[in-house]
Amino acid sequence: MNHISELHLDALTEIFSIGAGRAALSLSEIVGDEVRISVPSVQIINTEDINPASLSLTCDGRFGAVSQRFSGPFTAEAVLLFTEEQALKIVSDMMDSKMSYEELAEFEHEAMCELGNIILNACLSSMADILKFTLESSLPCYTVASADKILKRLKKNPNQPYIMILHIDLAIEKRHTAGNLVFLLSTDSLSNLVIHIKQFLGNIHE
Amino acid sequence: MSEIGIKHFDMNDIFNTLSLGLIAVDSNGKVLLWNDWVAKHSNVKEADALNQKLEQAFSEAVSPAFLTALNNTLIYRLPVVLSTALHRTPLPLYNASETNQQQTRMYQSITITPIRSQLNEPCGLIQVTDSSTSIKREKMLRSHSEILKKEATTDCLTDICNRRFFDAHYELAVADAKRQKHCLSIFMVDIDFFKAYNDYYGHIAGDNVIRQVAEALKSQLSRATDIVARYGGEEFALVMPYLSQKVAEQFAEKLRSAVSNLAIPHIKSAPFHQITISIGVCTGIPENGDNLLDRADSALYRAKQKGRNQFISIPLCETEEYLKQ
Repeated sequence: MNHISELHLDALTEIFSIGAGRAALSLSEIVGDEVRISVPSVQIINTEDINPASLSLTCDGRFGAVSQRFSGPFTAEAVLLFTEEQALKIVSDMMDSKMSYEELAEFEHEAMCELGNIILNACLSSMADILKFTLESSLPCYTVASADKILKRLKKNPNQPYIMILHIDLAIEKRHTAGNLVFLLSTDSLSNLVIHIKQFLGNIHE
Repeated sequence: MSEIGIKHFDMNDIFNTLSLGLIAVDSNGKVLLWNDWVAKHSNVKEADALNQKLEQAFSEAVSPAFLTALNNTLIYRLPVVLSTALHRTPLPLYNASETNQQQTRMYQSITITPIRSQLNEPCGLIQVTDSSTSIKREKMLRSHSEILKKEATTDCLTDICNRRFFDAHYELAVADAKRQKHCLSIFMVDIDFFKAYNDYYGHIAGDNVIRQVAEALKSQLSRATDIVARYGGEEFALVMPYLSQKVAEQFAEKLRSAVSNLAIPHIKSAPFHQITISIGVCTGIPENGDNLLDRADSALYRAKQKGRNQFISIPLCETEEYLKQ
């Protein structure tokens, strides 16, 4: 934990902001309207220290989680979290007139998978591009669960003692939504990430 | 695929037997694999598609969002999903079964995954599944449930509301009137000498009378807030909010004359010689413990006693005194 500095976090915020821009572009193309996504901050904490507040899991409702496992120079599980209510609103906004709200139920999971997939892939690919490595990833999978269950799942794997949290703001038309993108990292993966960031920063300063 | 599997099957046979679409493209987007399913639903033969750029292989345009997704997979080597909800029909694929009808574009769910060829070249594999059937199934289930819902609350003989619906609606209407302190009128309606009619004319004619009376009562309603239900054999009940007692009485007379105007002969109905109804109506703002339905029923009993083919109207309060008059 000591070896990640404010500078590194700033670099990560930059990298993910580029990814967010890419995701917004893809989403705009689908929605046919302007979509804006920003990543105001990135945080890295010990997995055991996460609590509902650090992930904005403070309300009683259920949460939609899109997850993908990826591997490369570092392996991680990436999980995108929205409240279920927000998730439904995003999807229905995105579907616009293409499908009625009643038809949504059946396709909501698949559409959420796609939305998560676009954001996750954009963040992963911008990281891969800028830090110059390649990543492989599984297909996305969507689950709906309570905050408790999600926290339990995040803390489950002792080999992933670090968690990187990206706070994400998503604006489709007039609706603003906040979510969190969480990366579960092993100690080695975090070290490797830091090495790549240092190399990247070193290259800039040369 | 295991060694055993590869030894036993020609992979092409397997690809072509699959009931999903498989397309593989190289890193430039040129088609390397085009299975029978895709050929059948796109109407483009494998031979014509191979080595073409994917967007040119189809006879019509491919959606820009699909091309962006494919490009992203080829560049970043990350898997992509395209959902039915957000894309519907990204590829020009058709449901081929209905030969005479105009072909409709198939709803699709698509995944694009990075794979490598045997020569280790980066490629992309596109899998397409037909989601038309699940959309159809969903629509069918919904329309079935609408029909069942209607059936569960409709009287099958008269097509007006049934007792089950009445009971639920009555409870809601009373609660609403209590809360908002507005008037509610309950009408209890009974066909006069109906047993005698049934005995003399038979059950089929009896059913017809019930149907005609139900229709006559229903035709008097014009507000969305009002309902008429078949309460029992030859008994009907109406729930109508916001009427003063005077207006409720005028309405009861309208109901009586509507049935009278049907002029259905009934020789066993001594004074009238035609089908008539008696009506009990109770109007008032319900408070705790008040039972409009019981009161309306007492009024109906009174109308029968006083000679039938008439209505008796009572306010919800002072009921006892009124009945003793």
